[in-house]
Amino acid sequence: MHESQGNKAFAFSGDWREFAPIAFTNLLLSIVTLGVYLFWARTRERRYLWSRTQFIDDRLEWTGTGRELMVGYGLAMLIFVIPFGFINLVVLNSAVMRGHPGLAGVIGLVLYLAVFFLTGVAIFRALRYRLSRTLWHGIRGGSDTFGLAFGWSYVWKSVLGWFTFGLIVPWTMTSLWNERWGEMSFGPYRFRADALAAPIFLRFLLFYLAPVVFVFAVIAVAVFGVVAGGLGSWGTVPNPGAMPFVLLAIMAGFYLLFFIVLGVIALVFYSAYFREAVGALRLGDLEFSFTATTGDWIKLFAGNFALVIFTFGIGQIFVGYRNWTFFIRHMHAYGEIDLARLTQSTTRQPGQGEGLLDAFDIGAI
Amino acid sequence: MRVWHYDGLSALRREPDLVADGDAFRLVESDRSEGPYRFADLVARDTVDGDAIYGLKGSTGWRIGFPGGLPADLAPRLPAPTRYGRLIDRIGLWPAAALCATFAAIAVGLFLMTPALVTRAVPQSVERKLGDMMAGDFGDRNCAGPNGPQALAALVARVAPGDADARVSVVNLPIVNAVTLPGGRIVLFDGLVKAAASPDEIAGVIAHELGHVRHRDVLESLLRQLGLSVLLGGLDGHVGGYTNALLASAYSRDAEARADGFAIDALAQAHISPLPTARFFKRLSAGEDAQGIGRLTAYLATHPMSQDRASRFIAAANLHHDDRPVLDADQWGALRDICSADPKARAAGFRF
Ligand SMILES: [Zn+2]
Repeated sequence: MHESQGNKAFAFSGDWREFAPIAFTNLLLSIVTLGVYLFWARTRERRYLWSRTQFIDDRLEWTGTGRELMVGYGLAMLIFVIPFGFINLVVLNSAVMRGHPGLAGVIGLVLYLAVFFLTGVAIFRALRYRLSRTLWHGIRGGSDTFGLAFGWSYVWKSVLGWFTFGLIVPWTMTSLWNERWGEMSFGPYRFRADALAAPIFLRFLLFYLAPVVFVFAVIAVAVFGVVAGGLGSWGTVPNPGAMPFVLLAIMAGFYLLFFIVLGVIALVFYSAYFREAVGALRLGDLEFSFTATTGDWIKLFAGNFALVIFTFGIGQIFVGYRNWTFFIRHMHAYGEIDLARLTQSTTRQPGQGEGLLDAFDIGAI
Repeated sequence: MRVWHYDGLSALRREPDLVADGDAFRLVESDRSEGPYRFADLVARDTVDGDAIYGLKGSTGWRIGFPGGLPADLAPRLPAPTRYGRLIDRIGLWPAAALCATFAAIAVGLFLMTPALVTRAVPQSVERKLGDMMAGDFGDRNCAGPNGPQALAALVARVAPGDADARVSVVNLPIVNAVTLPGGRIVLFDGLVKAAASPDEIAGVIAHELGHVRHRDVLESLLRQLGLSVLLGGLDGHVGGYTNALLASAYSRDAEARADGFAIDALAQAHISPLPTARFFKRLSAGEDAQGIGRLTAYLATHPMSQDRASRFIAAANLHHDDRPVLDADQWGALRDICSADPKARAAGFRF
């Protein structure tokens, strides 16, 4: 019924000047409430962003509430974070002191794995929450599962990753993506994802080997410098007292370069991963694609960085807006939706928001 | 009047007429009629593209939209949309912000006072258990060179004659510092003993730490740190290591001044001159120690040095008469070598 070839299925019609009053009042209220308002602030921001996002012929609508987010956060704190902190602080320390380092090690490892498990659950539940609070044509998404199986998957795939020195990370990322989206639905339709690791592995290898190459390059430059210095070509350095300073500056330069270069290479990989992941997503007869290149991602991050730095942090309030417009700008969908067959989701609506995700402080996408 | 409508069951967009009847209405199309619904059950959503949109209580996805905004005759019957949040909308943005700012200031004030209040509520016995647990960290480093503990006990007995619970020990670590554990244990590090020029200087430091014990400053400081780490880091895994916490714990300026006052009184009653203590503080702040400044920063970090701290001790000396040294030469020698003459004390080195 609705073809979306030709013109773009996703379109954003917002304007940052229209968004600014929301962002600034959010900032004000968050400050005077010592951060409690952040939950409502996020909700207002999403309500705006969703309402300005057109999919085919209608706007999205965000139906989540600030209260849900706060309740979720409070529960996560109460059930997980505080007991964890207590075990960490009191039990582990006293066990060590009573002379059972082995026992303490075991408890520590179990805690560590438990944190991984909860991180997986948190990622799953955040996605489920977002889909369940997104309306299109009055229809929402969701999932029938609670993410516990996904949590275990997250644990064992991560552990397997350690044993393979991180080489299977592309597979871990794509298979976890497939697994969690495979549990999600919108209306009566299940999402399907069959992202592959092979197409992005080369780029991952680049990222994986970059630090090694970089270290060798630094050593080579250093050796070359010493040799050249020994041959007297550094005789032009004005006074020997400045040498440590020059060396320090060079070291700092390398350090900075290392992180910038590594960051860029990470984006080379991540952009490919995200294209592969979104491109492998299906919903009914709909197919999706994501077109952001490495350059687009670099521009996004550099822009966000500049926005925050040059406004002394205040620009942070527009970062969510920029990320969302970036996401929508590069998001495409092809295929058909039969509106008559798109009926309301029968999945259970989760009662609370992304508390676990907040509690563990994990990023959005 | 014509509205657009999703029934929340299917994605089909309908364009029925809204037919009002008292406080209820029906949605009527040529072949189909929905309702009745009560106006009071409508929930206002955000206005999008000029369309006023309403949901229905208890239904996901049920929506009606009034193209071009709400008709004037319906407006009084329908609820207003929430903007900032229900509570804030009711009192207005600026009054709400002012009110919240006031509460925030009160909350911050209360938060800063909490550790002091909680400290008073913790029983001494609990505090002592906590201190014993933490003392385990130093367990195998306690020094007991020949006659050292006796000399130390004699010194403590002079400084705090009435205090049978005063427990002071020397630990084999090359740090110029002294810490007080919860429950009143005082730990001197060997570095401080070595850096002292006379036993009177050590007496001054111990008297100062006894001041912290008397006012339970340690527990308060620990609670404050715990509170901060919960608040800032959410207890995310690196909270362990009491010793680091202790070493990093700086008391408030007030607590320091109080502890100094206590020390000055204690020295006066014990007939120990406060001048060596003042000299010790001055040496520390000037970094004049032959061993180098690096070793001195530990005490400075937890006890910010200021000129008037030393001055206070010097001024106190005016009221002193017949002062005598806290230890004789033999005892002082034994105390100085309490670690170096003890083969059992674990060698210096950092575990944390
Ligand atoms: Zn002090």
